[in-house]
Amino acid sequence: MIEGDKFNHSFTVSQNVYSGFIDVFNDRNPLHTDSNWATANGFKGKVMHGNILNGFISFFVGECLPVKNVIIYTQHIRFSQPVYLDDALDFSAEITGVFESVNTYEFKFTFRNKEEKRVAYGTIQIGLLT
Amino acid sequence: MDHNQIIKDVNDIFIDVLDNEDIKLTTATTAIDIDEWDSLNHIQLVVAIEKHFKVKFNTTEIQGWKNVGEMCSAIEKRVNQ
Repeated sequence: MIEGDKFNHSFTVSQNVYSGFIDVFNDRNPLHTDSNWATANGFKGKVMHGNILNGFISFFVGECLPVKNVIIYTQHIRFSQPVYLDDALDFSAEITGVFESVNTYEFKFTFRNKEEKRVAYGTIQIGLLT
Repeated sequence: MDHNQIIKDVNDIFIDVLDNEDIKLTTATTAIDIDEWDSLNHIQLVVAIEKHFKVKFNTTEIQGWKNVGEMCSAIEKRVNQ
């Protein structure tokens, strides 16, 4: 892996993903579970939990890179648009920094929805276990 | 860039990365002297130092640093190359 390498993956916030997140973490805030409440507060429907996207990032780091000996050191994410149930998201990431002295790589990433709106973006820093 | 300025900049990096305003580095400071300076934070310190000074080290070099003084000497040597 070298600076400038790019990676892409498609994710969908399916009913299974949404229900699984609630089952595991029990965040039933009405923004995420009550369509009427969400629309009354200016959204098109139930807003998916932002941290579902962090789960997708976990999958990206753990399963999509060409190496498996990885560990996440830091992760920063900004949520810029709401994500709704069944939204398909295009995830893209690029290596922006390589620190060979400490086997560490930095990525910038973006999630875009089908309208190509950026819904979330941020940085990930991973290490390679030796 | 002289040695004193490098120590000052490194001190600022330690304060920021380790989130401890009380850090006052000397050339003799080692990881034993600072609670937050663990192995994971050491990685963050090296990354921040490489970014700040726009230098790159290799694994052997950083493993050879016995204290902050040796770290700063290595930075000074690389910056002034």
